[in-house]
Amino acid sequence: MSVVGLRPFFRRVYRYRLAYLMILPTALLMLTVHFMPSIEGFIMSMLKLNQFTLRYFLRAPFIGLENYRSILTDPGNPVVAGITGAARNTLFYTIVVNIGTLGLGLVLALLLNRRFPGRRLARTLVLLPWVVPTYAVGLLWGAMWLRESGVINMILVDWLHLLRERPFWLIGPNAFWAVVIPTIWRFLPFNTIMILAGLQVIPDELYEAASIDGASAFQRFRYITVPLLMPVLAIMLLWGVIFTAFGYNIVIMMFGNGGGFPGEYADLLMPAITRQSFGLWQFGLGAAASILMMLFMMIFVAIWLRVFRNVLTQEGSL
Amino acid sequence: MAATTSGLETVQNRLSAITLYQLRRWALERLADLLLITLIILMLFPIFWMVVTSFKTNAEITSNVLWPSELQLRNYIDLWDTVNFGLYYRNSLIICSTTTVIATLFATLAGYALARFRFPGSNIFSVAVVGTQLIPGIMMMLPLYLTFREVTRITGIQIIGTQGGLILLYTGFYIPLSLWIVRGFFAAIPPDLEEAALIDGATRFGAFWRIALPLARPGIVATAIYVFLTAWDELFFAWVMDVQTIPVGIRLYVGQYANRFDLMMAAAVVVTLPVLIVFFLLQKHMISGLTAGAVKG
Repeated sequence: MSVVGLRPFFRRVYRYRLAYLMILPTALLMLTVHFMPSIEGFIMSMLKLNQFTLRYFLRAPFIGLENYRSILTDPGNPVVAGITGAARNTLFYTIVVNIGTLGLGLVLALLLNRRFPGRRLARTLVLLPWVVPTYAVGLLWGAMWLRESGVINMILVDWLHLLRERPFWLIGPNAFWAVVIPTIWRFLPFNTIMILAGLQVIPDELYEAASIDGASAFQRFRYITVPLLMPVLAIMLLWGVIFTAFGYNIVIMMFGNGGGFPGEYADLLMPAITRQSFGLWQFGLGAAASILMMLFMMIFVAIWLRVFRNVLTQEGSL
Repeated sequence: MAATTSGLETVQNRLSAITLYQLRRWALERLADLLLITLIILMLFPIFWMVVTSFKTNAEITSNVLWPSELQLRNYIDLWDTVNFGLYYRNSLIICSTTTVIATLFATLAGYALARFRFPGSNIFSVAVVGTQLIPGIMMMLPLYLTFREVTRITGIQIIGTQGGLILLYTGFYIPLSLWIVRGFFAAIPPDLEEAALIDGATRFGAFWRIALPLARPGIVATAIYVFLTAWDELFFAWVMDVQTIPVGIRLYVGQYANRFDLMMAAAVVVTLPVLIVFFLLQKHMISGLTAGAVKG
């Protein structure tokens, strides 16, 4: 920028000094707890940072992209083996949980959006699982899934006789569902209330006009409800994916008494990277895995923005 | 004569068509009621089970008894005796409420700036705010931990293991999302009122403080509650930073009493209770506030 160009720039900055003052504390905090550690993490991902070099921290030996290469192409590495499985689980977990919370949330919101006595009570009751802290969710469902004394097998086997044998829920492939179902249970209420709020701002006149024009109930849902609900659904999807992809508490509290290995079917990336970094003292590898995870999230957000851009700008949301 | 009969028939047909339609509609509505009730029961059952189980003895749990034989408070008393819940509760309350106040204040200021001013760099700032949410916690954790250790070594100020350190982290972590919610509320308020105040001689900050802030209050309250609940739920960083909050205490406890599900359910009830109380006290603000923010974006 030339000297001539600088002066108007500074004048504009000065004109907005109040705005800068208002964002200053936030900017400083974000710099301290988000950006500084992220840059350090990025550097760490290119260092040989293990139990021997940890005390040198950022002055540990530089090995370039070796950690990334190891994660992506080296199946023999014990750290990597655990993380690939966890990455696969996290992908499926994120997809299934979000389809579940958004789909069931839409159904519940539509059911709650009708006129019936006790509507307010119903809405309050539906929100209740949301107040159970996630670490307590892990504890509670961990007890419910128990093979011998868990209530789920008690219902399925002893009361309803749906199954002859008591299945293991916390061991083997079922463990995946043992993590998915409580997560849906915990996050469904919040999505429901948000979608319900979205339903309530759709003007009744639209539905009335469509009915007069002979639109069926399904057509009204397809051409009025769904498009007008899109902004809310898009936002809930974005936050939902971020929360589930970084899921930690439920898994960690459900298995191994708060810290062990949840088994190959229930392990998620956050617990896996944490366990591998600290258990095997491979902090450089852990940082590289985290960076890769962040890249995946960025790709998701880029796709999300492309898909929903029109929806969101119409509403003026972004 | 024939014409009249056919006229009557049409009327009858139409009437039966209407009642049939109404009957079908009524049946569908009842079906919807049934589905709703089923879903609500399914959603409430785990909570109900948690409370019931917390009153059982361990023997009753392992022998699959539905109801506890008596309403004994043994588990709660044992819990209180074995765990330093007083300490955990005090730590959690201090940390969560301080975080809530500071984070909400800063988020409100920055959210207003983003909603009202298009200053040089405002776009970059917005992207940075959303971008922070994509950083995995594990990636920030070790650098933060080691940096804090360096700071302590150089300046002698203790950060790890202190309430202040965790408050610093939580405040930073929860500001971006809160800021985004609050920004939505300010954006939804028409700027006319503030402009009128400016013409009447108010300062720019005065217009924010006296006009916009009171109007956005429901949203700000909702955001504050959101921050509190999120902080109350945080286990990962509290564990690493070695601050004894409730989640950390529960995790330690669970590690010690691996198969005592009677005690664990009592613990789960005890940690859910305060949140439940907050929820019932503030539910009106929370629901209307959060949803309004989401819908207006």
